[in-house]
Amino acid sequence: MNPFEKIFNYQLLTRLEDTGTFVVTAHERSWLKTMLEHPEANEAFTANTLLKLKQMLSTDIFMDTSEYLIEKARSQEKHVYHPLLRPLRRLISDRKGMKISFIVKDGRKNVEQRGFPYKLEYSMVKREWYLLWFHMRHRAFMSTKIDQITSFSEQPISPETAEQILEKLSLIQHARKTEVYIEVVRDYNQELSRIMYAFSCFEKAVDYDEEQDKYHVRIRLLRDEYEFLLSKIRFLGKRVRVIKGDYLKKRMLEASTKTLARYGIEAMQPEPIES
Amino acid sequence: MAKESFDKEIQFLRMLMLTSGAYNRQQFAERLGISVHTFDKTTRRLKDIAAATSSQSNAEALDLLDAVRHTYYETTDPILLFLFRAKSLKESESTRISIILEVLHEQTMTAVELMDVCSSVMPAELSMPDEKTIRSDLKYLEAVGAIRKESTTRPYRYRLHNDLLRELSEDELTDLFDFVNVMANTQVPSVQGYLLQDGLKKQLKHILPEDNSFVDSFLYKYHYHSRILDEVHLFTLLRAIRDRRRVQFLYFTPKAEKSYTAQQTNPLFERQGAGKQLKTFPLKIVYDHQYGRWYLLGMDREGIRKFRMEGMTHIEEAEAVSEEVYERKTVELMEKLKTSWLIDTGKPIKVRARFYNPSSGEQHNFIKHRVLLQGQWGEIVEEDEESFIYVISVNGIYEIKPWLRSFGSSCEVLEPRQLRHEMIEEWKELHAYYESI
Repeated sequence: MNPFEKIFNYQLLTRLEDTGTFVVTAHERSWLKTMLEHPEANEAFTANTLLKLKQMLSTDIFMDTSEYLIEKARSQEKHVYHPLLRPLRRLISDRKGMKISFIVKDGRKNVEQRGFPYKLEYSMVKREWYLLWFHMRHRAFMSTKIDQITSFSEQPISPETAEQILEKLSLIQHARKTEVYIEVVRDYNQELSRIMYAFSCFEKAVDYDEEQDKYHVRIRLLRDEYEFLLSKIRFLGKRVRVIKGDYLKKRMLEASTKTLARYGIEAMQPEPIES
Repeated sequence: MAKESFDKEIQFLRMLMLTSGAYNRQQFAERLGISVHTFDKTTRRLKDIAAATSSQSNAEALDLLDAVRHTYYETTDPILLFLFRAKSLKESESTRISIILEVLHEQTMTAVELMDVCSSVMPAELSMPDEKTIRSDLKYLEAVGAIRKESTTRPYRYRLHNDLLRELSEDELTDLFDFVNVMANTQVPSVQGYLLQDGLKKQLKHILPEDNSFVDSFLYKYHYHSRILDEVHLFTLLRAIRDRRRVQFLYFTPKAEKSYTAQQTNPLFERQGAGKQLKTFPLKIVYDHQYGRWYLLGMDREGIRKFRMEGMTHIEEAEAVSEEVYERKTVELMEKLKTSWLIDTGKPIKVRARFYNPSSGEQHNFIKHRVLLQGQWGEIVEEDEESFIYVISVNGIYEIKPWLRSFGSSCEVLEPRQLRHEMIEEWKELHAYYESI
């Protein structure tokens, strides 16, 4: 199965698109057939649709990757396809409002809050689904673990309100992003590929100073993503150093001081961080 | 025509993606081991493909770097998928094949009927197809599963094999789109899934009324977009393993300065010898979730060999190996891999670490949660109010070390002494990095 096929050629694709002709190849069907074997495929379709799909694919072959392919350092997967994805995705595509009840971290219950859902987000790191929504009364953008949702029901919302929320969201997402600079410590330029891979999941740009042979990675991110970035920086250890981003620098100083203290080594105590 | 290789394009896109704008043309070309002229040519070609396959309206003005720049929240379309659209096709061929497919979309037809249609609709400046050409097109399209024979008797009638798109209701198509989207983004391999997703999205846009703009409802946080580039080699290597055949390839270790070299176009590169011609007996392919990278594990006279798939170019199958050898080597390899964090096949070592629970103000023990989630086969053996002890028998200390370090002050390595010592030294250096702020 060569992924470079004439049939996938871009000129051919454009022509077909113009006439509304869409093609499915054996490659894609094999892939689908294999994925449909996942136990959670049941959550993605009605029993009837699933049966129909399996019948359509009955003459296709399975993609036999599993025998030779090993996945390492993979987080345990709780849900690939959470049962609430189907109904929630429909609320989102129909631009409907909702009333939602859910449990927060400390175990308290929030009951029947009015909201507007706009995305379902999967964290590749936590292997968990989240509902992103707007809390009408608090005027706040929320992220709620789908597993913590106890119930929800559809509520009408005017198209104008929905539009306003989405506009506000896109403004906020741009405005709230900050930029931090991370330097690749020159002794580790040899490991550039690995370092860049580690940062490749962020929105980033890289500057290279040829004279000094130095790389700076500029990462744009939201404040609530700092924790994950910090864990990546600690993951890479001595290879990288934060050079712009006071909060991150202080956190790294604090982490190193505290860690050394765990090992019984007293380093100079940093000042407490205001978050 | 020689077999078209995409090694250059893959290395090009990988470098563009990873170093996001760091290099100018000269520097970029130098590092790829190509001329600036080739650099420009490749840029133009990839740009054309990216623009043609982009759903953005301003696609014409698209900058290649912008095209691969990852902007979360804007799209979940796989940004590097356009690479797989790069197989070149003569204009007469793409016109002819698209006519065939369009016609078969509406009705069933025989080869002769199709030849007539092609002759009447193809632009005059393109060469008219003969029956042999049409038959070979049909054979190809049937082989890739795009069309199928409708009848069992000659002359065969063909039709498009796209029931998946045609026989599902709008609602069912939405479910299918979502499923494909989720699986392609969260499981490996994904290229075929992304291609299917692309087709489904277009079909949905086509059938939905105009005012109903179809929405991508899902987002995937912290995704390694470049991982699909290595899937190019995945199926070549899987086939070699399945056929129990050795493979030979030109290998660039990731630490080498150059990551691609034009084959025999400039002897200078060969003299510099950045790449090495190697051969191995492939046994397993490993996908590393920690970095989003792929490895090939093989075995030869020197024992177990490991290769980063991103460094492999010009891969070719070589001689076959007996089933008995394959079985024996696989068992041996799997035994060693059992305790490797990633791919280290060295001696297993017992690592003990104390993890500290979050301060009592926090209800949710996110430290323990993360250890359970990511700690692979390690176990929590002791636990008290303040902390817990995690134990794992793992090959070598180097692959697990970054993970342990990423916990910062929530993790204290207890054993082995060497790892504990190295951890202390590293944290001292890190402290020195930030001491003076």
